[in-house]
Amino acid sequence: MSEKVLMKGNEAIAEAAIRANCKHFFGYPITPQNELPAYMARKLPKIDGGVFLQAESEVAAINMVYGAAGAGARVMTSSSSPGISLKAEGISYIAGAELPAVIVNIVRGGPGLGGIQPAQSDYFQATKGMAHGDFKLVVLAPSSVQEAVDLTMEAFDIADRYRNPVMVIGDGIIGQMMEPVEFKDIGADDLPEKDWITDGAKGREKNVINSLHLQPEDLEEHNWKLDRKYKEIKKNEVKYETENMEDAEIAIVAYGTTARIAKTAIKEARAEGIKVGLIRPITLFPFPEEVINQAADQVDSFLTVEMSTGQMVEDVRLAVNGKKPVEFYGRTGGMIPSPAEIVEQLKEVRG
Amino acid sequence: MADRIDIRISGAGGQGVILSGIILAEASAIYDETNAVQTQAYGPEARGGASKSEVIISQKRVNYPKVIDLDVLVALNQESYDKYIGDLENGGTLIVDDSIKVSKEKKVKVYRLSLIAKAKEELGTKKVANILALGALAAVTDLISLTALEQVIPNRVPAGTEEINLKALKLGGKIVN
Repeated sequence: MSEKVLMKGNEAIAEAAIRANCKHFFGYPITPQNELPAYMARKLPKIDGGVFLQAESEVAAINMVYGAAGAGARVMTSSSSPGISLKAEGISYIAGAELPAVIVNIVRGGPGLGGIQPAQSDYFQATKGMAHGDFKLVVLAPSSVQEAVDLTMEAFDIADRYRNPVMVIGDGIIGQMMEPVEFKDIGADDLPEKDWITDGAKGREKNVINSLHLQPEDLEEHNWKLDRKYKEIKKNEVKYETENMEDAEIAIVAYGTTARIAKTAIKEARAEGIKVGLIRPITLFPFPEEVINQAADQVDSFLTVEMSTGQMVEDVRLAVNGKKPVEFYGRTGGMIPSPAEIVEQLKEVRG
Repeated sequence: MADRIDIRISGAGGQGVILSGIILAEASAIYDETNAVQTQAYGPEARGGASKSEVIISQKRVNYPKVIDLDVLVALNQESYDKYIGDLENGGTLIVDDSIKVSKEKKVKVYRLSLIAKAKEELGTKKVANILALGALAAVTDLISLTALEQVIPNRVPAGTEEINLKALKLGGKIVN
């Protein structure tokens, strides 16, 4: 039972989290994601056991997430690029302590304070270098408000299943635009019991939640354990969409907002006789490297389009593994590529 | 209906152009059962004399969420008209307040209507000129049904202004004829 409503991306993500039984939100304001905490501030206090707290800083907010996750709560924080950088240390601790949490990044242009318009320049941060240590986030990249809803709900399940932080990464367009959405009940019913939480240790052995391992032997063992978990995630959680790939001679690889723009460009290019298809990673980690590698046996070349100076393109090149040329087209700093620009690039790629 | 109809509602900050874009998108997507996407500028770009709200309506999935080829321009002040008229496609539809000086160069359907003055005169407030514009849009195009707009307006306008806004919607249709 559900019906369609028109919602802004940021608000829809918040509602999706609440529907996924997230009752705890800790955050600190930053454009362009403010409607998300504002929605939480209106709704969570009305829910039994619900807590919304605007922390004194991003650093405080992420450590509140750490605490709530350790106590077994479904918990979320959201921010935009500079704010995520401030949260990075805490995210590393959460990953080290193997706690489930959902972190939303509605990306804006950087580096530094950058700007406030849409960007995809936090790909490296999200998938590679979030913070210190051998760890990974699961990174989910919606390209519509509906998908932002569905992936946010699923993010909590993935976090609980693997005891790992999950990032939902959007951009200013996904966060700010309004589209019709429906909230489907898609929660998993086979999640492991949270028998590791610190909730008072009444009548049982105490649990310890910690990311400190002073014995190198212990820490190495812990790191390999995490590594096995990430391998498991790579095996089970890869998500992508392909479109128009059946007869494609060029494959565009793009995610999020850029993938939507690419779809419009593909329609225009096909009308001009260019056989082009789309591979859209939905999970940025784990990256859909297999489908890209297989496509390299079929297409003549790849065009990666991003709102950055070229980040995901490195993963595309690794996946293609030298089989075919991988070209790049990017706009950055808050500029959005137009379908016509992408069609121009396709003509150049085709030669 | 064409593959996609790109609509931009523009005016000064405070004229309610963002709200009217949201009402239009919701009426179309939820009650006329189309795919509609609404976007707006945020940050400093959103302030000042030319605020805009963009709505894309389609029977199919909307990919590019911003205006590509502008089919309908609604302008409630001179500055927004001047800024956006260049984007309007030949054959497009222009709905403007009659306080705006319109150049004759473009081959577009022009509806220069007394939106602001009529709102003030008949309903006592020019604040509802944005809703008059929606009424006019429903009357001169087949892009949106009046019943859909009537269902959305009471839920989207500030509490206590439901009646006057519904009157404004009707008035917008009336002044076209």
